[in-house]
Amino acid sequence: MLELITPLFVLLIVGGTMVGIIFGSIPGMTATMAVAVCLPLTYSLGLENGLALLLGLYVGGISGGLVPAILLGIPGTPSSITTTLDGYPMAQKGEGERALKIGIVASLSGGLISLLVLYLFAPALADFAIKFSYVEKFLIILFALTVMAALSSDMLMGIFSGFLGIFIALIGTYDISDGGNGKYRLIPPGTEYWLDGGFSLLPVLIGLFGLAAILEQAELGVPKGHSASDLQVKERSKFSFSIFRGQGTNVVRSSLIGTFVGILPGVGGSAASILSYTNAKTFSKKPENFGKGEPAGIIASESGNNGLTGGALVPLLSLGIPGDSTTALLIGAFTLQGIQVGPLFIGNSPDTWNAMIIAMLIANIAMFAMMYFAIRYFAKVVTVAKHLLFPIILMMCVIGAYTINYGIMFDVWTLLIFGVFGWVATKLRLEIAPFIIGFILGPSAEVYFVKSLESFGDLSIFVTKSWISVVLWLLIIGSVAGSVMLSRKTKTSL
Amino acid sequence: MNDLTKVSIDFERSHLVFPRLIALVLAILLVAIIIRDRQRILNAMPYWRGVFKDMDKTRFFGALGVTLLYFSLMVPVGNIWPNTGRGFLICSIPFVMLVGLLFMHERPIRSVMSLAIVSVVGPTFVWWLFTYPFFLTLP
Amino acid sequence: MNFTRRTLLAAASATAFVSAPIAASADGLPRNVRMVIGSTSTGGDTYQNSAIVAEALSEHLGINIKVDAVGASEAFKALNRDSRGSTIMVFHDQSYLGNLYGREGYDDPFANYVVGPTVAINPGNAYLVPANSPYQSIDDILTAAEKGERVRVAIQPGGVSEIGFSALKNAAQVRAPGSEENIVAVNTGSQSDKNQAMWDDLADVINGSIQANEQFTQLEDDDAKGMRFVWITARDTTLAQAPEAGMGNTTRDDMLAYASPETSVTLDGSADFTFDKEFFFLFNPEMDPAIIDQIDSALTEIYAAGEIQERQKASFFIPNFLPSAEANAHLTQKRDTYADVIAAIAGN
Repeated sequence: MLELITPLFVLLIVGGTMVGIIFGSIPGMTATMAVAVCLPLTYSLGLENGLALLLGLYVGGISGGLVPAILLGIPGTPSSITTTLDGYPMAQKGEGERALKIGIVASLSGGLISLLVLYLFAPALADFAIKFSYVEKFLIILFALTVMAALSSDMLMGIFSGFLGIFIALIGTYDISDGGNGKYRLIPPGTEYWLDGGFSLLPVLIGLFGLAAILEQAELGVPKGHSASDLQVKERSKFSFSIFRGQGTNVVRSSLIGTFVGILPGVGGSAASILSYTNAKTFSKKPENFGKGEPAGIIASESGNNGLTGGALVPLLSLGIPGDSTTALLIGAFTLQGIQVGPLFIGNSPDTWNAMIIAMLIANIAMFAMMYFAIRYFAKVVTVAKHLLFPIILMMCVIGAYTINYGIMFDVWTLLIFGVFGWVATKLRLEIAPFIIGFILGPSAEVYFVKSLESFGDLSIFVTKSWISVVLWLLIIGSVAGSVMLSRKTKTSL
Repeated sequence: MNDLTKVSIDFERSHLVFPRLIALVLAILLVAIIIRDRQRILNAMPYWRGVFKDMDKTRFFGALGVTLLYFSLMVPVGNIWPNTGRGFLICSIPFVMLVGLLFMHERPIRSVMSLAIVSVVGPTFVWWLFTYPFFLTLP
Repeated sequence: MNFTRRTLLAAASATAFVSAPIAASADGLPRNVRMVIGSTSTGGDTYQNSAIVAEALSEHLGINIKVDAVGASEAFKALNRDSRGSTIMVFHDQSYLGNLYGREGYDDPFANYVVGPTVAINPGNAYLVPANSPYQSIDDILTAAEKGERVRVAIQPGGVSEIGFSALKNAAQVRAPGSEENIVAVNTGSQSDKNQAMWDDLADVINGSIQANEQFTQLEDDDAKGMRFVWITARDTTLAQAPEAGMGNTTRDDMLAYASPETSVTLDGSADFTFDKEFFFLFNPEMDPAIIDQIDSALTEIYAAGEIQERQKASFFIPNFLPSAEANAHLTQKRDTYADVIAAIAGN
């Protein structure tokens, strides 16, 4: 087994992790794209070395997303969206470096815990995951959607924004590859040419968070100074591992939620961090601090999305079914080498399996080391003058939008549309966070809901399907009740 | 099982089920908002007038206009040299420059020079990175 | 707004002005070519195939070819916009099956585009049943339908995944008119959705592929995930070119047992229905025909050299180069056959 770990193998992982972090840190560039770009290189590298590179990219790409999320308030990848909610407020208070370090430690924990789960329980968990039919998957998405209520500062407006997000996500085709019938809906007449595929998530995301924020700054006349008001790292805000005291449960729970969401094929990466965040808020003693710069929020979000990495490999390696869009590309790496991935993979190719586990381990450690020590330089980004930073961010957003679907100009226009929409929406007191969560989860909610009814023909199936669905309902009710109580509490305290 | 909960969905029309449901919920929420916030809605006109009065119009509409122009020109310019990403390169340099100038407060020659350097080096580096090592398509 | 529109116009006319001489002076394919494909996945078979062909072509012609996985609808749009040869497309039978099944965004490729050379086949399209299914063969399934048993088949509607299902219905109709009504579709999405439909007991038969499902056919008897092949839609002549070792523990001979003529899904009572997923080029109808000739002759030389076939076979593709004219005739005939199948069962 040790002969696998050659200097080249390690070098590829570390290099891959680095490139992945860079991709993840650029708004609009994702881990998926990093893997897609480097996939052709793996043909000549051979299977183990190729996988080393790709897994490095995967871990780095998922982790890098926290950097712009915290420092600029723009989620670098959809799965770091909940990181912005508490990370950005911290950065605005001058605690950017601290927030980044919290995020990185949480990422490492999430990565390692999910890796352990992958290594120990992969085939058994895959067997459990296939017990989740459309019904249970719908309930999981519904549970994740309850975070809309938790995130709203004005419950009514927040929920309206969330449903609006779902509604806008439904524009276009009811996608056949997700199980739809391929028919158009909600497309304004005359716009079919552009809107047949609907709006893509990433351009919407960076439009709402990136462009809209810059427009807002322009409206205010781009106030002088840096992006963060107070860069003095205050004594009290210095990072120390003591922040994690009392957060053990949060870390483990979030990592396991992330892992589990990863294991469920099709539920999707962004749901992982959203669910961990919902849970952390529901079970927190100070839920009212969430969204205002609460370290526990960053911890939940980041251990959740890194938990995804190990989880998504479970169905890939034990069923041949990818857990998210990035692992779908890993299948390509296997087929390029003529290796089948399916239920027999781990038994048939123990060397490759071990190599992947080791690669993931090294990638997580490399990610931690690189990011932890690079942070002081990352954090400098907020000291760059706005007139230099903003146009460069805009340009990077354009690249991200254009390349995400391999060169579609409408995605760049989507960026502009949602930039303006974001600016107007804030003025109308619509809430962006619930909106984007509705937008992300809307399509899956639709497919799982409609397919459940199509297959079972009865609404009661959502309760009677299995004990899993009963547990999920309890969680949903708990989360909603928690939000309602919290909103009452804040109202009376005002 | 109870007949009340029975639903049958025709696959051919299943693309309308969820949009209708969501539209219904949206309509209900909208009515609730109108009832609750009627005062604020009635004040919408003065509110927006205030927004436009207070805004830095040059920077706001300038940034919007330059962005619009940037997006509109990228593809036609790129089409002159298909699939080389030059449309992106050629349009990004003046875009970064213009937005930078727009967002500056004082424009001393030193700052303008550093902005000029950034607006040439930035897009060129990014263009090179995406076209060669990453082999991705740019306009 | 006026300003923008004027600028746009100016830019557009400048484009026309500058690009006209470039297009005229270009000899064959431009230096930088974008190959759009009908799939959005860079891990899937269309991408792999296109990448192999793009690499061979760009090496042979000394130009750059970039493969962009934009998906069918966007790929057709990109192809429509560009008649200079700087955008070409590679896709498979879905391009005309999508049209036959009336899917949105699919025009008739034979009428709206130029169908170019074929390059390879993915012979993997297959149908499977659960390991403990009472159905041992396609014949059992058709017999069951004849006896009035409902057989649910999980497919992704509107294309390659549905054509085998349509053929099954057609065969049932030929065998015992009316029995086709007992073969019903369970409309799902991706391969994992189809597998899940089987495990949830929502489907008795699923569409799948040799590549993705073979390992499930090799599981222990008591494993609830176990499956069995009942039908592989490829022509026997196609499968005969597959590596003898086959895939996993399923040898080429095993595969041939699931394909015509040994496993018969009749087309009209005499001939069998077969389906090979073939990858081919599509061009803008106004593109200079010299470019098509250039690609044809380049591919002829590449296939004569023989290296590309090894690459394709290593990824379980069957090399199948036909120059444009032959490819067009072959695919038109194939389309017509399937159009008849789909029309025959349309009444139900």
